[in-house]
Amino acid sequence: MSNLGYFGIVCLLLFILLISLLTSASIGAVHIPTHDLLHAALRDRALTETQSTILLSIRLPRVLASAIVGAALAASGLMFQGLFRNPMADPYIIGASGGAAVGACVGIIFLSQLTFFGFSSTALLAFVGAVLTMTVVYSLARVRGRTNGVTLLLAGFAVGTMLSNSTYLLQLLDPNSSSGTRIVAAWLHGTISVPGWRQLAITFVLFFLALIACYPLMRRLNTLALGDEYAQQLGVRVEATRIAIIITGSWLTALAVSLGGLISFAGLIIPHVIRLLLGPDNVRLLPVTVISGAIFLVIADTLARSIVAPSELPVGILMVFLGGPFFLYLLRKRKKEYAL
Amino acid sequence: MTPLLRFENASFRYSGRQVLENISFSVRSGTCTALIGANGVGKTTLLRLGSGALTATSGAVLVNGKKINGLSHRNRSRLVALVPQELDVPFDFTVEQIVAQGRTPYLGMLRGLLPEDRAAVERALEWTDTATLRKRIFNELSGGERQRVKIALGLAQDPQLLLLDEPTQNLDIGRQVELMELLRRLRGEGLAVLASIHDLHLIRWNFSEVHLLGPGTSFVSGPPDAILTTENLQKAFNYVSRRHQLPFHPSDLVETL
Repeated sequence: MSNLGYFGIVCLLLFILLISLLTSASIGAVHIPTHDLLHAALRDRALTETQSTILLSIRLPRVLASAIVGAALAASGLMFQGLFRNPMADPYIIGASGGAAVGACVGIIFLSQLTFFGFSSTALLAFVGAVLTMTVVYSLARVRGRTNGVTLLLAGFAVGTMLSNSTYLLQLLDPNSSSGTRIVAAWLHGTISVPGWRQLAITFVLFFLALIACYPLMRRLNTLALGDEYAQQLGVRVEATRIAIIITGSWLTALAVSLGGLISFAGLIIPHVIRLLLGPDNVRLLPVTVISGAIFLVIADTLARSIVAPSELPVGILMVFLGGPFFLYLLRKRKKEYAL
Repeated sequence: MTPLLRFENASFRYSGRQVLENISFSVRSGTCTALIGANGVGKTTLLRLGSGALTATSGAVLVNGKKINGLSHRNRSRLVALVPQELDVPFDFTVEQIVAQGRTPYLGMLRGLLPEDRAAVERALEWTDTATLRKRIFNELSGGERQRVKIALGLAQDPQLLLLDEPTQNLDIGRQVELMELLRRLRGEGLAVLASIHDLHLIRWNFSEVHLLGPGTSFVSGPPDAILTTENLQKAFNYVSRRHQLPFHPSDLVETL
């Protein structure tokens, strides 16, 4: 595809993202028509007070949070698929999300008063949990300098399952019992939180920094596709590159988990489908994957909070029902390539 | 003149087994050297020592007079390219994308391909006659096509020393002849080529020197006529000549081609 065509796709996706953000913000128990939103944005007609309260303190933060969660999951999925040279890797399957969840749970239950630079300990502990888990899974999956696909998936599955279930134990140990626990339970099934503007701003900055850190690694991921030894021959410092990828991938996973809990399949499907459409060049994949991930989760979260209204479905549960069958479809369709 | 590549009493042990013992030889710029020997005798290991992927357990491997493992990754990768037997790529990269990876040693973390990099990629594609394959998916190519693309990837690295591990495998006789023409061209450009090879009939006219890795870590070097003798080959490949039964006996080919 030409550079112009690629640029066109990026612009089109950004436009679609904007539309889905607006639409999602207008949908809910109190309907705020999108043209009212547009007028308000152009400052030629103000919203009613109820509308603006709902919009500013609930809906916009949530919609933006879901966009960041989707973008971060898709980007970390892309990085982990490249790192493990395996299109089945994703932060949830290989256990990074589980590790982040344990870290975040410790933060929510025991250290909720603690803050670092005005940011809750939750995200930081989620990051630590994700990095530690990835280091363990990665060293388990590596046998004599090679990463075996089957070992990777099994190790990630085992470690991830142990971790995400041990969050239940953490809830039992919770000194403040019921109230906090219910929040944790909903969050573990993947519920996008309604963050304060301050938290949202910090998360966005951290997300943006992670993307900047990712970008130079994308060309390295292309080279790593030739295998460790070949990448080494081409002058790539393989171990250092790998550590950088694990850190940025875990960083993105931690951001997603601290805002939206455990959401499966998003990090798997988005990079996978975009790769089918655009080819495997990671440099080109990153921007498109990030924007598509955001669009995807904004739409999914809007569905999750409206299909069973006035109640609400965790978007993680919706993703399991949407993503699971879709993943199986991909598995059947491209069976040959997954021969491990 | 310092030889481009020099093995000095290089030995290599792997999990307690002596794979190579006291290997010494030189490869000079503008020459083609063949490496022959039975399966499993250590040809690939020797090539990987030459590329710096492995480090000799004793002795030394020198490039331009300097220890290869003392060079920075980047400097080494601008001097030596090893074309492996197998290249396993998990995603659907096109031939052009694969060959462009050969420019990695010349790129920074952020900078993309410059016109000179594009020119190197084009030259590699043209020399290996793979320009028409550029938009094809590497994983969907035939064995012979993949072989040529792998060589193009090595050439895009713009090395002074090209190490080829079984480059003629999967090639039919026509493609083999083309490969030999390519090697002659590279030699003319001043490159040094060291290739492990099973097709002994290709050696006499195309390689100026032959290294024969025998069983039990024996190693002899010399011009093709001196090395490719029936006696040497029978010992190295462990067979008894039954010339009257096999019309295309390797040593026949050596004598007739």
